[in-house]
Amino acid sequence: MTDLPRPWTCPFCPLLCDTFGVQAGPGGALALAGSDCPRAAAALARFDTTPAVASPALQGQACDLDTAVAAAARLLAASRQPLFGGLGTDAAGARALYALACATGAICDAAQGAALMQGVRALQDRGGFSTTLAELRGRADLVLCFGGLPSARYPEFFARAGLAADDARLLVLGEGGDLFDAASQLAAQVEGRVVAGAAAPLHAAAERLLAARYAVLVFEPAQLGPHGALIIEMLQRVVATLNRSTRAATLALGGGDGAATVNQVFTWLSGLPLRSRAGVHGLEHEPLCFDAGRLCADGAVDLLLWVASFGTEPAPPSAALPRIVLGHPSLASAGADVFIPVATPGIGSDGHLFRTDGVVLMPLHALRADTLPTAADVLRRLSAARAPTQ
Amino acid sequence: MSTLRIRGGHVVDPQNGEDAPRDLFVRDGRIVAPLADVDEDIDATGCVVMAGGIDMHTHIGGGKVNLARLLLPEDHRNTVPRPPSALELASCGGCTPGTLVTGYRYVEMGYTAAFEPAMLAANARHAHMEMGDTPILDHGAYVMLGNDELFLEMLARGEDFQRIRDYAGWTINAAKAMGVKVVNPAGISAFKFNQRKLDVDEAHVHWQVTPRQVLQTLARALRELGVPHPLHIHGSNLGVAGNIESTLQTIQALEGLPAHLTHIQFHAYGKEGPKKFSSAALQLAEAVNANPNVSIDVGQIMFGQTVTASGDTMRQHAQAGLASPRKWVGMDIENEAGCGVVPFRYREQSYVNALQWAIGLEIFLLVKDPWRVVLTTDHPNGGPFTSYPHLIRLLMDRSFRNEQLARLHPDVAANAALRSITRELSLSEIATMTRAAPARLLGLRDRGQLGVGAAADIVLYRDAADREAMFSTPEYVFKDGTLVARAGRITAVPVGGTHFVEPDYDRGIEKRLRKHYAEHGQVNFDHVAIGHDELCRCCNGGRLLPTACFEGQTT
Repeated sequence: MTDLPRPWTCPFCPLLCDTFGVQAGPGGALALAGSDCPRAAAALARFDTTPAVASPALQGQACDLDTAVAAAARLLAASRQPLFGGLGTDAAGARALYALACATGAICDAAQGAALMQGVRALQDRGGFSTTLAELRGRADLVLCFGGLPSARYPEFFARAGLAADDARLLVLGEGGDLFDAASQLAAQVEGRVVAGAAAPLHAAAERLLAARYAVLVFEPAQLGPHGALIIEMLQRVVATLNRSTRAATLALGGGDGAATVNQVFTWLSGLPLRSRAGVHGLEHEPLCFDAGRLCADGAVDLLLWVASFGTEPAPPSAALPRIVLGHPSLASAGADVFIPVATPGIGSDGHLFRTDGVVLMPLHALRADTLPTAADVLRRLSAARAPTQ
Repeated sequence: MSTLRIRGGHVVDPQNGEDAPRDLFVRDGRIVAPLADVDEDIDATGCVVMAGGIDMHTHIGGGKVNLARLLLPEDHRNTVPRPPSALELASCGGCTPGTLVTGYRYVEMGYTAAFEPAMLAANARHAHMEMGDTPILDHGAYVMLGNDELFLEMLARGEDFQRIRDYAGWTINAAKAMGVKVVNPAGISAFKFNQRKLDVDEAHVHWQVTPRQVLQTLARALRELGVPHPLHIHGSNLGVAGNIESTLQTIQALEGLPAHLTHIQFHAYGKEGPKKFSSAALQLAEAVNANPNVSIDVGQIMFGQTVTASGDTMRQHAQAGLASPRKWVGMDIENEAGCGVVPFRYREQSYVNALQWAIGLEIFLLVKDPWRVVLTTDHPNGGPFTSYPHLIRLLMDRSFRNEQLARLHPDVAANAALRSITRELSLSEIATMTRAAPARLLGLRDRGQLGVGAAADIVLYRDAADREAMFSTPEYVFKDGTLVARAGRITAVPVGGTHFVEPDYDRGIEKRLRKHYAEHGQVNFDHVAIGHDELCRCCNGGRLLPTACFEGQTT
């Protein structure tokens, strides 16, 4: 086993751990060193030490990059309403994506758009008070995991939070029950209101929250269901109440596969988050209507550009419309009209991704050289290839 | 090689003591001695010619600014789209616009550089990326210290001053900052320990250190590191009636060390009168006039909707009840800092808001030395930067100022000291407050002036009695010799450069920091510092503009 360069940042979940490394096995396989995170291990299994050899394809037939870019540019030029989906890329890819979205009037939504918008809409409506990983680890004397333990989807969470699995500071609430009821009853109880029929654990949780010096409410927007924004508002109400007399904050876990990063970049460039479009009437932001799944189902878009450079994103929706896919080589079989394999940030290229708390923009490092272009390279070529009359 | 003559304009260049008509010559982006032949000749007759504007305190990039954008889609949706220009990408927003439109609007007003005052080391890459995506403008940022647990712990343990100074030097280098800002010294940290108020000589509930100690240590550290911009101070008790006491104590705590007190309007309140809220502008101005080590920027408020975005979690939480619309965002950040974003509408008929407006103008007009006063609204906290032309007219035109004053809350309109102030600022004083002074306070020797060798950041304003109209839409704006705006339209979008300083320090401190990050941090120590190549990528490939430090002075 040989050690690959350190420090390395794992790009496959929004905790963006950067204290373990990667080793190259004899057959070129990549293995995690210093962690047994199953999520990272499964993602790494899609890569090896040799640079990816993959060819762009036009209607399933291998072609060179110039041909693929020209064909994709023609599809974009012919489209009256393109949709940019997936959005599995890093900050550089997001910058390039925004320029192309402006030029084409595309609507942009991440593969994790539904979960991302739960947090965005709660913030837009009520604001909130949050904290970051280092604060959680150094300060929290109570960690309330709302809706269940996050370790199933974020295996390194406990290690990052400095918590043992049976830590006395841990409290789980809302598992298995109605999450909105649990959140609203908790909000009422910390306000000192009597809630008829409230479960005993809720009452005990409220007592512990009020007694804690610094409580952190951890939740995963993707696990909160279709009305997650309302639940997040309730959790923020709990925190706001606690902050009148003691200290508390929330920490949301989510925004991986580039979703949070592209959302941040689009927000700073344009002033508006994802599920937006630069149209003839200026910028429009529609957190409900500009849902990629809904737009495809309604036939409201006539072209899909799917970006999935991490290899961990879902496959592009199989809607009956022309599709351009920029992604991990394994997506060659997704049946796109134009497929362009791209490097994965953190494996084949450097890059930057936002951590789950939205504060730290982590640098990513290539583990090895790659033959593939980055998504940003391809997107810039697509912008340049558009006919000047468009 | 491209050459340019700007012919017959009235050159206002306080750095070089000029206030008279003359020709300016430019070659390859620099101002040069007169040339015999030029490629391009611009008739500047009837124009006032100044160096490009420099905003040394404007929240244009980083986490809290993006949170403000996320919080206020209504502010963004309501902005009227302008006719598209082939050079501009779509971008919108009124009080916290997208970075793209921020760059376009600043440049159209004749500004060519802007500095983000509150960059967190933990968020530095993000801040640099936003600034790199702010087109045309050169930029830089001050990194926040004085609320990070490590600094407070070192101070509390009485560690050697040299170690703390080296830590500050390391942080400036790591974050690629232009200076250091302290916000509510020790107060952001104290709020995390549930302390709700912290006076200058009051102890932090956990670390038992006082804001006075924090101020003295940081001001001295910057002096010894030779950082040109002295400590940038957002003082204690922002917005609190009677906070002039804290502000005067802050100045006194400096014991003569240089410092810049920012958005000072928010720190110049007395508690006299029936409403227990009064102007302390006179006391403040007397203190500034008497302490030549101190410079200020004003943080003028402007009536209308805005959003206050601050690192001061303690004070923003206390003010959150005043949010309009009723929502706000707060955050505790990485054992290092915090932020609070509270939307706010300043109203002419509010006694407090009207008085805040008057206090800001009084400070501008009562401080004698324009080299120590910088024109700001603390964008967006007092109002958006797009209101600068209006502010300039208020300062230059007494009758206009008194007309505006008459529209305010009747008690303020009738009693404000502002009514009796007759001073009207000259063009030279405006040029000082918007160009020459910020350049000098930041150590930018070739900016903010029009002498031979200076960068050709040049603005031509059509001289007009209506100073608001004049300063809203200059005829020509040149950035490093390139025409970037013509009569309010963007004509080129070069990527701006990044200003930063690289003070020397004893690398021995890194061992201590590595240990600290391993125990308390959430980022690998080797990932904290930003190198030149990465900075360049973050800043979109713009030029790196390191500013020289001076020989550090041991105090």
